[in-house]
Formats: sequence, structure tokens, C-alpha cells
Amino acid sequence: MQIKVLVVDDSRFYRNRLREIFADDPDIQLIGTAENGREAIEKVAELKPDVVTMDIEMPVMDGIAAVREIMKTRPVPILMFSSMTAEGAHATLEALDAGAADFMLKRLEDMAHSQHEFAREIREKIRALARRPLHAARAPLHKDDFAPRLHEPREPARQAPRSVPSGKVSLADYKLVAIGASTGGPSALQQIISSLPKGFPVPVLVIQHMPAAFTGPFARRLDAMSQVEVKEAEDGDALLAGKVFIAPGGKQMLVEDHSGRGVIRIRESGENEQYRPSVDVGFRSIADAYGKNVLAIVLTGMGADGREGARLLKKGGSSVWAQDEQSCVVYGMPQAVVAAGLADRVFPLSEIAHRLASGA
Amino acid sequence: MSFEMDNEILQDFLIEAGEILEKLGEQLVDLEHRPTDKELLNAVFRGFHTVKGGAGFLNIAPLVEVCHSAEDVFNLLRQGQRMVDADLMDVVLRVTDVVNSMMNAVRGGQLPEPAEPALLDRLRALAVPQAEVVQQAAVAEKDGGLKDGATVKQQKDAVEEKFEELLGASEVSASAVAAAAAAPADADKKESAAKPGDEITDAEFEALLDQLHGAKSPGGAVPREEASTGQAETMAAAAINAAPIAKLRAGAVAPQDNSPSIKEDDHGEMKKAAPVKEAAAQAQAETTVRVDTKRLDDIMNLVGELVLVRNRLETLKLNMGNDEVAQAVSNLDVVTSDLQTAVMKTRMQPIKKVFGRFPRVVRDLARTLNKEIDLELIGEDTDLDKNMVEALADPLVHLVRNAVDHGIEMPDIRQKAGKPRTGTVILSAKQEGDHILLIIKDDGAGMNADKLRRKAVEKGMMDEDAAARLSERECYNLIFMPGFSMKAEISDISGRGVGMDVVKTRIAQLNGNVEIDSQEGRGSEIRIKLPLTLAIVPTLMVLVGKQIFAIPLANVSEIIQYESIKRNVIDGLPVAVVRDHPLPLFYLRNWLLRDGGNDTPASQSSYIVVIKIGPYQTACVVDYLIAQEEVVIKPLGAMLHGLPGLSGATITGDGRIAIILDMPSLISRYAGRLH
Repeated sequence: MQIKVLVVDDSRFYRNRLREIFADDPDIQLIGTAENGREAIEKVAELKPDVVTMDIEMPVMDGIAAVREIMKTRPVPILMFSSMTAEGAHATLEALDAGAADFMLKRLEDMAHSQHEFAREIREKIRALARRPLHAARAPLHKDDFAPRLHEPREPARQAPRSVPSGKVSLADYKLVAIGASTGGPSALQQIISSLPKGFPVPVLVIQHMPAAFTGPFARRLDAMSQVEVKEAEDGDALLAGKVFIAPGGKQMLVEDHSGRGVIRIRESGENEQYRPSVDVGFRSIADAYGKNVLAIVLTGMGADGREGARLLKKGGSSVWAQDEQSCVVYGMPQAVVAAGLADRVFPLSEIAHRLASGA
Repeated sequence: MSFEMDNEILQDFLIEAGEILEKLGEQLVDLEHRPTDKELLNAVFRGFHTVKGGAGFLNIAPLVEVCHSAEDVFNLLRQGQRMVDADLMDVVLRVTDVVNSMMNAVRGGQLPEPAEPALLDRLRALAVPQAEVVQQAAVAEKDGGLKDGATVKQQKDAVEEKFEELLGASEVSASAVAAAAAAPADADKKESAAKPGDEITDAEFEALLDQLHGAKSPGGAVPREEASTGQAETMAAAAINAAPIAKLRAGAVAPQDNSPSIKEDDHGEMKKAAPVKEAAAQAQAETTVRVDTKRLDDIMNLVGELVLVRNRLETLKLNMGNDEVAQAVSNLDVVTSDLQTAVMKTRMQPIKKVFGRFPRVVRDLARTLNKEIDLELIGEDTDLDKNMVEALADPLVHLVRNAVDHGIEMPDIRQKAGKPRTGTVILSAKQEGDHILLIIKDDGAGMNADKLRRKAVEKGMMDEDAAARLSERECYNLIFMPGFSMKAEISDISGRGVGMDVVKTRIAQLNGNVEIDSQEGRGSEIRIKLPLTLAIVPTLMVLVGKQIFAIPLANVSEIIQYESIKRNVIDGLPVAVVRDHPLPLFYLRNWLLRDGGNDTPASQSSYIVVIKIGPYQTACVVDYLIAQEEVVIKPLGAMLHGLPGLSGATITGDGRIAIILDMPSLISRYAGRLH
């Protein structure tokens, strides 16, 4: 069964390039194109694609509004194309909020010069999104959870805290929470981070696969909607309780232990480090620095980044949680951890958020 | 330097970017009138964005660079962080010119030259949020300004941060900062920096630093750290005295009054037509194919040959008297005609391609001349043969410039004359039967027939009597005579004295004609009539002596039996009196036949063909009328090439060769001046 793809882009030039890429792939069938958001909504209803690729800047109706509408009327995995700018980052995060499943940089330069690589990446992403079980198709996240609240901090954990299983260690027993995520990660992280209460007892490190221009805006966005302080990690940052550090895109984030005081180190990525930032690289250094006092959480994402890091953490006595299949946009990274027998617990996203928020 | 790229992809880019740039020209002019139209700002942003993307794909770095900066500016504009003002428009319009010329380079297979750094700097300086500028200016004011050096912390921070990057120095004194900031040689900036004021804002500094950045990379004009203290301090003072440019800019938000606005009648239609529905359901291919125009020309030629064969068969059919053959030939006739139309349609292009440039032309001109002008475009979607569209571009530009420069008066004069300050130029196109009618109309000063008469006499074109006999209409059309320029002083906009007669010649080459009508004080109207295509010409076949000639029907206004017309001699020249109107009478055999010396027509079967060229009519005597026939123009051989009066040859239905006459050049060559 071929994956039916609808391409939405106002540039014929770009549509033609995507057409060429898909034409070479027997698994993917381009069933139509649309030139703007309004047309996209119509075509989605009419052609029932398995995956939609969506540009952001378009006439008549932009990509974000279209995503919002499509996810309301006929949810389908949507892959956003975004430009590598702060503006693009903002729009992309907005689109992910609206329910887009994943995004990809519209790097036309790369498209031309490493055409093969670009084609491989987009096909892989489309396959991953198409594989997603239908029940996981996610409606837009509750607006309440994500509306930026600068002056109006949200009540911590609105729902009554569920009873915590006895014998479970409390969060305060950990020195650090480390979270790794990829596809679907931004909105999953929003859900988790925005529900953390003020005065969260431990520092949180987040390693989300994301391009360089995106992590800064992402951190600021999270900060605006959370009660905890969120920032893009910088070299030399001290790991303080109640602070959330987002690994900067394009680089690698490590942790060093300076006689009991955790310090963040940022270094350039090596030639052969595929993920920038890499969950494995981060987790490994955390394992070295903190040993058994870490709670590592592997969230939704393509591939298996995080598995080897989790293995080291696990070996050192730390705890590993994985997001469950149903709530994942792509059940790849958590699956790798689960399959390797490294996960202590497997939770739906809401449960992970709830448990962290309620201190257990 | 040329560059290599998959031609298919390159064409794809050129077509899309070309369309975008065409639209961009119109959108930018619109923008001056609706500077806060969000949809318009978005559209311009997307335009630059898309061109940048394609250029990135093709690795055309200079194009990416300039589009990127323009995109940044429009991003701020559409977010309301900066307002459109006249200066910004000037820069952006220049940028589109640069982008256009880069596109031309790419079209020619060349990697374009980078945009001049000064322009890029100006553009980048605009990519600073204006609101921020204003806000920070206010903050600076509250904190007492910067008179005593850099005391405002946030400014100092920003400056230092920038300078660490720039100079690689960890500690930079405020005076060195200012010196460096004052260093870039941008005329505009210097001007504003010279104005007295008492604070310089963060963003302003940033802009200056950005310029420095720009200047640094190509030339190596790195700020001189070692500049003597005294000098540095003077420069610092200059920089610190910079006027609060934020305020100046904020004040200049209102659009210029003297710029033209555009009303597009067809705009609504265009929008509707834009999202072309593609066939759904199936994996569909693009519905268009790109074809080299050369191939279309070849097809057109072949169809031309086919038309000749059909004509030949039509003639043979009559001789054969065979019904079945007649039937088949009739069918062939129908099919050939349809085929001809269909092929012609493949070559059709909307005249929008030419019209599209006029909003910009008029806008720029109006600004230069300080006139207020609205341009109205009508019938942009009228289709015309591609070659024709291209050939029309120059003449039309000239006529429109003329209307703006000579036609429309200065706003004050208009007001005194009781007219609205804003003049209107209307450019319209429509199809009328087998030809296209283009009209350029202005509501300007119009022309004075007597002035034109005097001028014609002054220039020695005719004597006073002849001038006095000219009808008003004929006077107006004098402007199409060679060497007849109206304006006393020659401006560089039009009025070079070569214009109008060249326009007329060009249009005549397209088998069209042009005339002008005018009403003093009310305006002028120029009407251009053109055939739909150049390849096939409807003609009147006539016999002169034993030779067949084809006269393009466009020039023929009527045919009269020779015998039925009164002939006379005026001023020593023979005339034919047609409905009490004397027309110069010529015997074509005198011009076209070697032995055609005697003026007596051969027989009773002779006819007078009244030829109309512009407003002028002449009576030409031919020996015999054959038929009206559509002919395909074949170029003349080298021996005959370039002979005045002959535009080509064709093969007639009965297989003979007919010379196609170029009536305007024939008459002007042999009859001298028409009057």
C-alpha cells in the first residue's frame, strides 16, 4: 500500500522538486498538490491523503491556519516545512501547537547539494508519520495548556493528584531529570514543562532534536508558558533546581560534576554525530557525572537516539521512563529503549506530565 | 562566470521567479497607496521568500543575499514593526531592479554580480524594528541621553557586544565605538548624522554597525582602532550628535502624495483565476508543457505552407468541377482554418506582460516630475501573439511616458484649470474582430492644432498654405512625422525627437497603424490597431501589369472603380475626388513596373484602392482586382531584400508568386511626403 501524500506549497518550483523526490520512491505516491491553505483543506477532504507536507508562508490561508482547520475536521499527520530563521522557528512551533506532527527545514540549498540526503530524510519522515497508528492521530493540544501566560501563572496540576504507588521514590531523591525527544517532542515537552510547578525540586535537562535557530525560540516559548524558568543552555550554566535547560540546536550538551555542583558544557558537534544535539551524548555525560541519581525520560521520536545513553544510566542505577506507543507521534526512540529492556516504566504522555508535576 | 545547472530546473525557477517579479512590481506600487495592507505586505514578503528559495536551490548566492534582506524588511513591515515610507519604497524598488537584472543574468546563463554593498547596507538598515527604535529613543531621552558619553547601560552593552565581534577586542572605549560607527561612508547616514540632536539610539547604532559589517567583508574597511584619540573624539561627538532618526522615520510614514495609484479592472478576475484547479484523484502530472518558441514558429510556418496548399486546392477545385473533390477541399478548408486558429492560440500571451511594467514606469516618472497621476489598466487579459507582445513593449513605453511627461500637467496648473490635481492615464486593450485595439488616453492638456501647424512650417515640413489646409486631426498626427518634437527643452524622459516617428514605424512593421486625437485642455487619445498575428496576413490581391501584388487589408479602406471617380489636378499633383474629398492619386504601375511610364490606366477594369495609413488616405490605381486572400509571408531573397515598399512574397492560390507590398514605406518612398 503506497503512502498517499498531498503537497501544499505556493511555489511551483518547490512542488516540482518534491514531485521529483517522491517519483523516485515506490512507496510514496503524490496524490495531489495545493497552492494555499484553503485549497489544502479542500484537497485533504477530497483526496484523503495519508500524510500532508505543508509550507507555512502561503497566500489566501497560511499553513498554520490550515493545520488548525485540518486537525479539527480531518486529522492527518502533517509535516511542516519551515525556514531556518527565528521567524521560521516561531511559526513552526505555532504549527506544532496547532497539531502538525513534525517539521523539516526547507533548506533549498541542501536540497540541491545533498539532494540524496534531503530526499532520504523527507521520505523517512513521511514513512514514519504514515506508520503512526490512527488512534494516535492527535487533536490539537488543549489550548489552555499552551497559551502563553506571562502574567498569569497556571495553577500547578489542576487535576486532583492521583495516588502515588507506595514504595516509589519521590522526585526529590533525584538530582536531575533528563529528557530526550525528537519527532513530536516539542508539543510533548510543552505539555510536560508547562505543568511543572514553581519550585520544582530538581534541574531538568531537555535534549530535543532541533536545528540551531529553533532551540532559542523554543526555550523562550516554553518559558513564557511555564512557571519554571526555561532557557536555552549555555556553556557554564550551573544546574539549579527548578530550572529547565534546553540543549542548543546544532551542538552537543554535556554535564560535568564540579564537586557536587552540576555545570553544563556545550561543545560543537563532531563530524559523525548524526543528531545535534544527541540524546546519547548528553545521557552518557550525565551518567558519568551523576551515576544513579538521574531520572531519564525518552519521549516520542524517530530512530533510536537515547538508547545507548539510557543503557549507561540504567547500568549506573538511574531510572528510565519511556513514553508509550499510543501517545507517541512516532514510536521509535521509546520503542528502542523498551525493546532493549531498559525502561523501568512506560507511561502515556499525560501520565509522565502528571507524575513529574505532582512530585513523583 | 557562468554556472551549470539542470536546465529543466533552471527554467522552472526562471518562469516562477519571473512571474513573481512581474507581480512584485505592481504590488510595490500598490503598496505606496495602501502602506498598511497586511495581505499586500505578506504577498511581497512571500515573493522575495520564494525567489530566495529557488535561488538557494540553484546556489545563486548574490540573488539569495539580496532577496534575503528584502524578505527581512518585509517581515518587519508585515508584523507592524516598521512602516512603509517613501525612502523605504525607493530602496525596495531599487532592490527589485537589481533582482530583475540578476534574473536577466541568470537567464543568460551567467552567475549575477553581487548587489552593490551600499544598496545592501541601506536595505539592511531598514531591517530594524521601528517600534523598537522609537521606544528606545524614548528610554534614552528619559535617561538623559548620551551627551556625556555612553552612560546608558543597555546601549553600552549592545554596542560592546557588537564590537567584540567586530574588533575582536575585549574592551572598547565609547569614543572608539562612536568613531567606528561614524566611519561607514553612506551618504544618507552622514546626512542624518550631521543633523543636530542629542541622543543616538540602540537600534540606530545597530544599523550603523550592520553597515560596518557589510563594509568590512568585501573591502576590508575595518574600523581603525589606532585612530588618534583626538580624531576619534571628534567623530564620537558627531555620532553622538546624530538626530533621533527614529522620529524622522516615524514622521515619514505617510505615503507620498504625488505618486500614482493603480486601479486594475481585472484584478478580481485575476484572483479568481489564480488557484487553478488541478485534476484530482489520480497522481496527476502538471498540465502544462514547456515548448521552445522556435518550435512554435516552425509549426506556424508549416501551417502557413498548409494554408498555401489549401489556397492552391481551392483554385484547382474550381477548375475541376468535381463535386467530391470540392467537398473534400471544403473540409480541408475548414480544418485548416481551425488548425491555424489553434496554432495561433498557442502563441498567444496576455498583454499583461507588457502592461505589467507600466505602474512602475508611471510611478517613477510621476515622482521625478512631481506630478500626480493615476494609471488605469483595462483589458490586461487580452491575448496577443507572443512576438507582437514583445515588439509592442518599447513603443508602448514611449507613448505612456509621453502621456505622463507631455500630456498630464503639473498639479497646480490642473487645479487652476478646474481639473482634479491627479491626472489619469488609461491604458486599455481589447480585441475587435481580427485585430487588437490599444488605447492610451490621458486627461491632460491636449494639443493645439495651430501650434502644430506653425511648428510644421518652422521645421520646413510644409508651406503655410499646406499647413492651413490640414484638418485638426491631421495636425495632431504631425507628431508622428520624423524630427517633430513638441517640447521646447529636451527632457531625458521623452522628447528626444526620435520618439514618435519611431513608434509609428515600429507599429507599421507590425502591420498595425496608429493615430492620435486630441482636445485642447481635455487630453489626448492614441489608438493603435494591430492584427492578431504577424505570420498570416489577409491581403487584397491585385494585378499591376501582369504581376500580382498583395496589399495588406489593414491598409485598404475602400475600393472604387477607376472610371466612376472624378480626377483632378491640384498644386500640379493628380488627385481623385472621393465624395468631395481630394485624395492624392498614384498609379502603382509607375512605381512597380519597369515600363509603367504612361499614366493612362490600361482598361475599364482598373480600380482605385484607397489606402489608409494613419489619418492619411491615398488613392492607388491598380489594373485588376483578383481576390481577397490570406497569405503567408515569405522573406524575399537576398537580391530584393531591403527594397523599400516590399515586405515579402507569397504563393497565390494558382501557384504564382505575389509580392507583398509594404504600403507605408512604398508611399513614403515614391510619393515623398504625403502632403
